[in-house]
Amino acid sequence: MATPILSVRDLHTQFFTDDGVVQAVDGVSFDLFPGETLGIVGESGCGKSMTALSIMRLVPEPGRITTGEVRFRGEDLLKKSPEEMREIRGRDIAMIFQDPQSSLNPVLQTGYQVEEAMLVHDKVPKEKAAERTIALLKQVRIPAAERRVKDFPHQLSGGMRQRAMIAMGLSNTPALLIADEPTTALDVTVQAQILELLEDLNREIDTSIVMITHNLGVVAGLCTRVIVMYAGRIVEEGPVERIFDNPQHPYTWALLRSIPRIDASRHERLRSIEGLPPDLIRPPRGCRFHPRCPFRVERCFTDDPVLEDVGPEQRAACWVTMKRAYEEMGARELVDVSPGSASGVHSAAKDG
Amino acid sequence: MAEPARRLEPAGTAAEPLVRVENLVKHFGAGLLTSVKAVDGVSFEIREGETLGLVGESGCGKSTLGRLITQLIPATSGTVSFGDVELTKLRGEKLRQQRRQLQMIFQDPYGSLDPRMTVGDIIAEPLDNYGIVRGRARATRIQELLRVVGLNPYFNNRYPHEFSGGQRQRIGIARALALNPRLIVCDEAISALDVSIQAQVINLLEDLQREFELTYLFIAHDLSVVRHISDRVMVMYLGKIVEIADSAEIYESPKHPYTKALLSAIPVPDPKIQRNRRLVELSGEIPSPINPPSGCRFHTRCPIARVPGICADTEPPLEMKAPDHVAACHFSDEVALVTAPAE
Repeated sequence: MATPILSVRDLHTQFFTDDGVVQAVDGVSFDLFPGETLGIVGESGCGKSMTALSIMRLVPEPGRITTGEVRFRGEDLLKKSPEEMREIRGRDIAMIFQDPQSSLNPVLQTGYQVEEAMLVHDKVPKEKAAERTIALLKQVRIPAAERRVKDFPHQLSGGMRQRAMIAMGLSNTPALLIADEPTTALDVTVQAQILELLEDLNREIDTSIVMITHNLGVVAGLCTRVIVMYAGRIVEEGPVERIFDNPQHPYTWALLRSIPRIDASRHERLRSIEGLPPDLIRPPRGCRFHPRCPFRVERCFTDDPVLEDVGPEQRAACWVTMKRAYEEMGARELVDVSPGSASGVHSAAKDG
Repeated sequence: MAEPARRLEPAGTAAEPLVRVENLVKHFGAGLLTSVKAVDGVSFEIREGETLGLVGESGCGKSTLGRLITQLIPATSGTVSFGDVELTKLRGEKLRQQRRQLQMIFQDPYGSLDPRMTVGDIIAEPLDNYGIVRGRARATRIQELLRVVGLNPYFNNRYPHEFSGGQRQRIGIARALALNPRLIVCDEAISALDVSIQAQVINLLEDLQREFELTYLFIAHDLSVVRHISDRVMVMYLGKIVEIADSAEIYESPKHPYTKALLSAIPVPDPKIQRNRRLVELSGEIPSPINPPSGCRFHTRCPIARVPGICADTEPPLEMKAPDHVAACHFSDEVALVTAPAE
């Protein structure tokens, strides 16, 4: 394969709080290749958004990137000066967020804000900027773009605001677009349109995309490769088909079975993952997933697993892996789910 | 929980209606002469023992409808009957007594619990309101309710901030169960939770339904969750019901183009399927509920509407299109031909 456009190595981002040091991103390494769409999935607090903000060097206080490398086109972004970073942000790497409402300035016209994004980077002469803004708004399928450029953000619907954000992100044709839950606040029909739009942009202008989301359906449609994060670490990565068809980490496996599917018949009981994600100030010893893992062995309590090859281009950090869980531990699609058990009712009743 | 067992019809069959809604309207004043037509003339039934899913996009009126049914807000016109009692006619103490049987679980597990009350007091508040139990019996009941929702019964003296989102939602469920209600309206009850925790709460709601013979109105924007938990699904668009059917039936053969578009937009966590799905494109944006379109409210965005023509002129009635399947569309026969998600 080609040289990666983005190479993250052993990234650590920590939050220094009164209660202790939160290890939000704890040794994350991955590559992104030109034109690729990479999904980073996981639940709240797993470190997926912090990984993105670390790449952009936008980690909020009291957080700090403590060690690691973020190589973009071969250069380490963590060694850049704040001025150099400002140049890169918006020009080479753009980021879109979940909430377009708070990312747009409410007292400036939408068109002006898109124009401004181009003018700060001197990419387009001033005379051309207005013209290009309209073209961009058309490209993200905002109807009546010529009129809409004069609208203030509150005059646009949620979906249109997100499209305007994407137009702004694309205004300098960045090589890399990082999208952090860009459709989570939107209705499903609008979400579907935004996802189609991102897909087209990836195809048409060859922008590499990092899609950060908790929604596995979104990843299935858009991404070619997936990284699954849990408690600040990558627990599994691989091509999207492998991760969905043949997950090897029990967390990935359980996550895929805990979501109801629109195309499934009713009343297959959902497989829930017992317990809660760990406290990242004092993460569990050994594998961080072991307290919730149905297939843990003795070693999982003490030894920290590292990412190892488990299939073609697929890696997982697990001492057991699902292959063994199926072969030796009787893992079945709905093993150990008796009525009541997965809802937590019976286990708690036993304690009490 | 000791309460005389109620008769439970198998879910999905034509059981007795527990709730009957007729021509219900809620307009919110938005100016001197304008009003937001949040719910604009809806009629339907909720059957005893079933889970009726209610879906639609933001602003379609689904949450307002939930609040109208539980009598949290007064209706502009129309009726809501619970069993033999017409709730919309009742006032004061008589309404208060009926309300015991209708409870609600809210979306935000952080905002819906008073941070200064202990969990025990939160759960017992409905019991205190109605003066049902005191002293020892009250403490026992709190522990019983905590156990029922899968929390440690000895957590009664803790405060909400000591619990995770999923656990708080369990506290909200325990509070809703305190008065042995017959109907629980779940308004986006699991939307704010992480996926692995969502599954725990969905499973809990299903267990509780079986154990206490509950009827649910399950309001959510996530159609996958609604399909999973519901016996029947009702779809709303701009204050109107556009379709009601059995949840498998509505997924397999929707009779309203809006339902079809909504279904085609749900991402499926399977790359092979998701890659090849085709979206039923809706043109434009959702119109304002202050000034809804004439005729069929969906005609401005509908892929099969006759405009100008009947769709812009005449409002389609909600009528039977198949057994136990109603929809409000002049051309429901054509819905099957609208570009389907390819397999």
